[in-house]
Amino acid sequence: MAHLNDGTLRRMVDDPDAIAAPDREHFAGCATCKARFDEMSADAKSAITLLATHERQFDADAAYRRMTGQPARPRFGFRLPILRPASRAMVAALALVVLVAVGVTAAVNVSNIFQPQTVKPVPITVADLESLPNLSTYGDFKWIQQPSPEIGITKAEAEKVAGFSAPDAKSLPAGVTADQITYAATAEVVGSFTFSAAKAQAAAAAQGKTLPAMPAGMDGSTLTMTIGPAIAELYGNVKAPSSGTSDPSQLQLPQLLIGESKAPSVTSTGVSTKELENYLLAQPGLSPELAADIRALGDPSTTLPVPVPVQYATSSQVTVQGVQGVALGDNTGLGAAVIWIKNGDVFFVGGSLKQDDALSVANHLS
Amino acid sequence: MGVDVEGRRLTSVRSEEDSFERLFKAQYARVAGIANRVLVDPQEAEDVAQEVFIDFHRLHSANSAYAAPWLYRAAAHTALNRVRGRKRRERRELAQAVDENAQTMDPQKQAELNEDRRRVRVALGRLPAKPATVLVLRASGLSYSEIAESIGVGTGQIGTLLRRAEAALRKEVNRGTP
Repeated sequence: MAHLNDGTLRRMVDDPDAIAAPDREHFAGCATCKARFDEMSADAKSAITLLATHERQFDADAAYRRMTGQPARPRFGFRLPILRPASRAMVAALALVVLVAVGVTAAVNVSNIFQPQTVKPVPITVADLESLPNLSTYGDFKWIQQPSPEIGITKAEAEKVAGFSAPDAKSLPAGVTADQITYAATAEVVGSFTFSAAKAQAAAAAQGKTLPAMPAGMDGSTLTMTIGPAIAELYGNVKAPSSGTSDPSQLQLPQLLIGESKAPSVTSTGVSTKELENYLLAQPGLSPELAADIRALGDPSTTLPVPVPVQYATSSQVTVQGVQGVALGDNTGLGAAVIWIKNGDVFFVGGSLKQDDALSVANHLS
Repeated sequence: MGVDVEGRRLTSVRSEEDSFERLFKAQYARVAGIANRVLVDPQEAEDVAQEVFIDFHRLHSANSAYAAPWLYRAAAHTALNRVRGRKRRERRELAQAVDENAQTMDPQKQAELNEDRRRVRVALGRLPAKPATVLVLRASGLSYSEIAESIGVGTGQIGTLLRRAEAALRKEVNRGTP
């Protein structure tokens, strides 16, 4: 008879009776198996000794009170960067930087329109955010059509506001049901930004900085940005933050958020693509890494950048509904999102999900 | 009709919360014990236990049949990940310097004990996740079938996995011995 296998011998160390009669007979007469058993037994005892700890009594009642007494952690899996209040304005500035750096660079004159057809990640760090120039000092922004989001409306109302059908999730992850969906929608939002060389230089001088000269034709030129219309569907119980809570990390975000928006578009009146890109990427404060990442995006007229805070979320390129998309998060279930553009619309699926689940919802969206 | 639906939903939420509280109180000591087996730091072990329960609560029903095995494995994985974090390990070693036995133990013996613990945890952190988890769960008193459920294998494989893990731990510990 063959020697006993490792699993059987190891089991005997813990439970000498857990062995079939033929094995017992073999073991009784086999010096090789006995020697292996002795070695395993020594290793097992050694492991138990090495991993021994002083036994503690953990108080479950007290632990439960502690846990339920704490403010809720963010439901969305990304850890939010802790930014100084001054830095929060920079987050808004980042959106403008990316929009301008990528969207506008496509616009040679007013007839050229930025129409992204795909998405790509742009890794950013908190240091990037904190060192960005405040673009509001480069000119004047004004709303042409102000945002007017309507939240908590019916599906039909949302479709009326947006002018298109709400996305329909054909597949939902375990634990997410369609029992409770909150709809939100906004009509088209339009804003314009007019560059002012004098304002930019004055703001820079006040901070002791010198800006590169604006290219000819940029001073006084206007960018017109159009975003939306859009519909968002929030699955699950969407609680408002408790009164007095202003910390965004304490917001109760939904289990699943599905969004669809018409892809943003930008027109410009006069500055060339290359000039604008070079000017924006030469601004003091923009890290060489971020500038390189923006340059590496490829054709800026057709690419929508997705800023990814590298210290707080991971990103990868995925295929969604046959097109290229960006996936954020991972498979831990703490948080994941997928963003893609198809047929002129930007889609977003995210929440307290595993990346596989987010992809499954995305691929079955209609 | 709307009221009925809302009422049923609230009842269902309350029922889920009650189930979670029962699960928490039934399993907390064991989950924290598994984390403490790895970390040898009761306070950090309780942090890990809380983290694991919150993660479970976000994603799963407390009535799931797999609740306890999921929690055991998550406690081991989370604690092992913390052991692998250098900064945390250093902080923990500092904490261990004022071990509960410190007041009664000879300083020389305490120093040796701390060094042994450090060496074993470093070795444990170097093992692949599966064998390290099997070792921790077994040392925490889980049965073969409980370990099998936690790591998603057949009970018949546990003997072999344990054997390999114990041999690997011995090698790692010896490797770290001057």
